[in-house]
Amino acid sequence: MNTHAIDHLLKQRQDLWRGRGGPSGPVLATGHPGLDARLPGGGWPGGRLTELLPSHLGAGEFELLLPSLARLTREGRPVVLIAPPMVPCPQAMAQRQLDLARLIVIRSRQQRNWAAEQCLKSGLCGAVVVWQQQALNRASTQALRRLQLAAESSRGAAFLIYHPGQRPPPSIATLRLAVAPGPRIRLLRAPGRDGDERWFGPAADNVVALHG
Amino acid sequence: MAETLWAGLYCPGLPLKAVWQGVQPETPVAVHDGSLRIVQADAPARRLGVRRGQRLGSALALVPELDSRPRDLRAEQRLLENMALTAYRFSHQVALAPPATVLAELGGSRRLHGGLKPLIAGLDDDFQAQGLGIRIGLAPAPAAACLLARHAIRVASLKMLRHSLAGLPVDALMLEPGVTRQLAGCGLKTIGALMKVDAGERARRFGPGLNRHLDQIHGHQPTPLAQWQPPERFARRLEMPVASDRAEALLFACQRLLKPLQTWLEVRDRALVAVRIGLCLEQGGKLDCRIGLARPARDRQRLKELIRLKFDAINLPGPVSALDLRAVTTDQHRPTQQDLLDGTRHGDQWPALIDRLGARLKPEHIVGLAPGADHRPERAWCWVRPGTTRPCSDQRPRPNWLLPAPQPCRRAGLDLEEGPERIECGWWDGNECRRDYWVARDRHGRRLWVFREYQPRSGWFIHGYFG
Repeated sequence: MNTHAIDHLLKQRQDLWRGRGGPSGPVLATGHPGLDARLPGGGWPGGRLTELLPSHLGAGEFELLLPSLARLTREGRPVVLIAPPMVPCPQAMAQRQLDLARLIVIRSRQQRNWAAEQCLKSGLCGAVVVWQQQALNRASTQALRRLQLAAESSRGAAFLIYHPGQRPPPSIATLRLAVAPGPRIRLLRAPGRDGDERWFGPAADNVVALHG
Repeated sequence: MAETLWAGLYCPGLPLKAVWQGVQPETPVAVHDGSLRIVQADAPARRLGVRRGQRLGSALALVPELDSRPRDLRAEQRLLENMALTAYRFSHQVALAPPATVLAELGGSRRLHGGLKPLIAGLDDDFQAQGLGIRIGLAPAPAAACLLARHAIRVASLKMLRHSLAGLPVDALMLEPGVTRQLAGCGLKTIGALMKVDAGERARRFGPGLNRHLDQIHGHQPTPLAQWQPPERFARRLEMPVASDRAEALLFACQRLLKPLQTWLEVRDRALVAVRIGLCLEQGGKLDCRIGLARPARDRQRLKELIRLKFDAINLPGPVSALDLRAVTTDQHRPTQQDLLDGTRHGDQWPALIDRLGARLKPEHIVGLAPGADHRPERAWCWVRPGTTRPCSDQRPRPNWLLPAPQPCRRAGLDLEEGPERIECGWWDGNECRRDYWVARDRHGRRLWVFREYQPRSGWFIHGYFG
């Protein structure tokens, strides 16, 4: 029996949970070789919520997403940014080959989770990026849970970027990364895998121990 | 040319329908006129003995739980117009025959609908869908169609018409009560008997009006008709049978206006760009809401979904007693309209998503990003309607994020890495500025976009983040 063929067939099934075998949904290459090598499945998981915890505002969290978002827009798949804390610079986006015609920004903060849910459920968006800015309470924890479920019903990638210093609620289903200036990345939690204490850079595959 | 064939569409329950607007009442109901006499009662009330023409007091004595309301002639007229609108989809010649009948010429359109049978079935279905039970009469003459509709008689030729009419009682002619009594006094019970009387004799005894009427009914003389045309604009008002502040009840009421709206859009060949709904509050005052569509459309279901989202988000200060619905911006419909977002596989669902979002968010909160034509970075971007952006080809280093306004900072903690880029402009519009932009790194290691300004202020500012 050819195990490779079975493996290949199993990987095509998105509704199958494969334990530590990595995410079962479609995978989106990040555009950063160092990051791809460390993420389970080799890229951002589609149909699942990915959480980014930057140590500071502008530490490089968006820089990690940009190559994959740009590629999605070039393929004609819309990208929605919801409640970004600042204004995305059109010149910089265009320099990174992002097609501005496929970029939608939703500026409402009150309705951000609802809007994100709608976008994810529609199944039209290549990726949805939501910025979380308020202090987290019980209600917003529930909203995050809903977001997670909406992400699972969609094929697109869903990203949640926390405010620096926010403590996200515990979850087991999400991929969670810490981002420090540099950017330096640490895999806090990945489905079917334990967290990794080491920091690494997105470009090369060298592991850097960062103290303090 | 096809033979003319008129259909009379008679709605027997019009006065009741106009007042009760599709609400299922729990008690027997009736409608009374200005002199407090019953005009129409529903089936349960009739079973209990309520009759047309009865005094309201007697009816209430018979059925104490009877809920009778005054007749609403304006609502009846609106309902009749709705009927005409529906009939207009099947016929190019439509006329109103108040109080409760609409006439439509079907001879010209029977071939289009694949024969008379499917045409009649389609008409019937459409009226059923609106909750209006109608009786359909067919005759070669419009006056006869109007008369036969009440008896649901369908005839195609003048000979058959004569035969059918002969058997009807003279009451069916709907003459003035005096004339009807006179006819009864002469022993003339059916139209057939009346027709046997010599025409000159009829004119002498009952006046010239009767002969003209009989000629029109038999198709010997044309009937003057006022052609009905669908209105230029669609504006409807709906009185709520019971004032309510529940979104569900409002939506239900609103839905009753959407069907005529869609029919109107179809017969006028127009598409909807926005809908304006005014909610008239019982305590006085009016709440306006506007529902815009990203692309002209006619789809009733989609509009209903948007209205639901809107109503869910609205905070009503009190119960609503009436709804005003206006199709504010109608445009010529272009089904093959292209836009920038059409490249996606789901070209048509995109506007639907934008509309859904727009139902709860303000339009200025759903935006696309476009470069602005200015050298000053804070003016080199703007929000635009999604999908209407411009390409840009600026290759100078720019950060991913711009702060909404530059923030003052200290030079001390910054490592300047690239630069300077001199920006000096704005002297023509009074916002003159002179700055040197640098790519810098702060003590956390973040890459920033900073500038040193010389004019109008002097000092260091953070303008953006690269991360």
